[in-house]
Amino acid sequence: MTLRTLIERLAPLLACVGLLTLWQVAALGLNNDSFPTALDSVRAVPAILGDKEALINILASLRRMAIGFAAAVLVSIPLGLLMGRSRGVASFFNPLLMVIYPVPKAALMPIIMLWLGVGDLSKTLVIFLGVSLPVIYHSFEGAKAVEEKMLWSGAAMGLSAMQRLIRIVLPAALPEILTGCRTGLVLALITMVTSEMIARQSGAGNILFNALDMGQYDTVYAMIIIIGAMGICLDAAFERMRERLVRWSEPQFDIPLSFS
Amino acid sequence: MNLMPSRTDLKVEAEPAAKSAIPMIEIDHVSQVFQTSSRQDHLALSDISLTIDDGAFVSILGPSGCGKSTLLYIVGGFLNPTQGVARMKGNPITGPGPDRGPVFQEFALFPWKSVLGNVMYGPRQQGVKAADAEAQGRALIEMVGLKGFEDFYPKELSGGMKQRVALARTLAYHPAVLLMDEPFGALDAHTRTRLQNDLLNIWERDRKTVLFVTHSVDEAVFLSDKVVMMSRSPGRIKQIIDIDLPRPRRRTELLLDPRYQKYVVEIERMFDDAGDDELRP
Repeated sequence: MTLRTLIERLAPLLACVGLLTLWQVAALGLNNDSFPTALDSVRAVPAILGDKEALINILASLRRMAIGFAAAVLVSIPLGLLMGRSRGVASFFNPLLMVIYPVPKAALMPIIMLWLGVGDLSKTLVIFLGVSLPVIYHSFEGAKAVEEKMLWSGAAMGLSAMQRLIRIVLPAALPEILTGCRTGLVLALITMVTSEMIARQSGAGNILFNALDMGQYDTVYAMIIIIGAMGICLDAAFERMRERLVRWSEPQFDIPLSFS
Repeated sequence: MNLMPSRTDLKVEAEPAAKSAIPMIEIDHVSQVFQTSSRQDHLALSDISLTIDDGAFVSILGPSGCGKSTLLYIVGGFLNPTQGVARMKGNPITGPGPDRGPVFQEFALFPWKSVLGNVMYGPRQQGVKAADAEAQGRALIEMVGLKGFEDFYPKELSGGMKQRVALARTLAYHPAVLLMDEPFGALDAHTRTRLQNDLLNIWERDRKTVLFVTHSVDEAVFLSDKVVMMSRSPGRIKQIIDIDLPRPRRRTELLLDPRYQKYVVEIERMFDDAGDDELRP
């Protein structure tokens, strides 16, 4: 039993070590300049994190990501809930969203840059767009699935339509909403990097692509490791919070799909 | 008009006769038309008229699809009738309100709230202080037999326990009328019997007006003062039967009582004679 728990605990770590070993062996075997070994890449990580300039860049990226994500969540949850409960609102916004949905948000970047420049605003807006759609979609689905009788029970207690939306639909749909937010968080990271890839001015993505231009391949891979680690940490932190908020709901997975 | 003898005696003394002139619930020539998926009109209820007196336990009995739940939803204000009007104490019903408390077959508890949180929800909404709402909530939870489960979440409870919570949650905001929509329909036979007994015990304390929808003849006769028999396609009232059995009722005594048996057999025969089965379109 204890051995089994130990193995289960160590499994993610073993997977990481295994992946790095595979990388090391492959890099040594190929012996190619543009494919540094795992060891070299990992060694470059502290160098980047120790550099003040790089750190400021990465923090600026995270700041844009946080603002874009927060703004998207604040707008998308109410919109999604309204769409889920009102046919009129849904049929107004649905075609609009269907047009935006399949478009890669980074593809809008050049147009947005024409209007808003290459600064923070453009990048934050792209992150906002990237996060919005999954959050709207899941809020919509969650609100739609709320049991009619639950709302009737609330109405009989004297809750107005607005109160029912905030005090019944919102908590009832919360597990689904948070699933959307989790997807949104990862998309925020992705759009953050891509936006900086297109508007090369500052940020984590900028460091990565500058290093690529200059042929500093260990830095490139180190940045990929850093961005990946940020993703894992953000997702794990979010998952912690999510679990606490929806402890009351039915367990959906026995194995938590995260590295927490 | 056959209310329980004890009740009528009490009433004569306690209240002037004028009050009984306005019935608690009055359903006045109500019809309900639904559109089916093939865009045809389906007449769910056809010209229903019914009055329910204050303090009466009235069951609506009929096969599935006879519109008995629809009728309850109209009284609850959750549906607007296509024709006719339902009134509560003489006032037309235009929407849901805390004077009519529903209990649904699906329980419809708030899953993010604990048992106590669910029961306190209505009183808190009506501005009852938290401490008072909690004290009343705990007392109600004890009354429905769930003492010790105050902090459980609905997902941790069995079906019967959930329905007890739902009943306590509705009783908590003191509705004048209880609207029970096949409340025990999703429960196993044993749990069902226990809940019927407990419901009667609770009801006999304050004798709220109850409108109770069921498809079980035994259940309707056991609980009710009056059984409204409905038939399908279109839903209409077939007959209203007064159940003149003494209260308080004990199941074990009642099952041996020839009068009880006679009511059950009589009602079942009437449904048989009509050939009112599921297979008719």
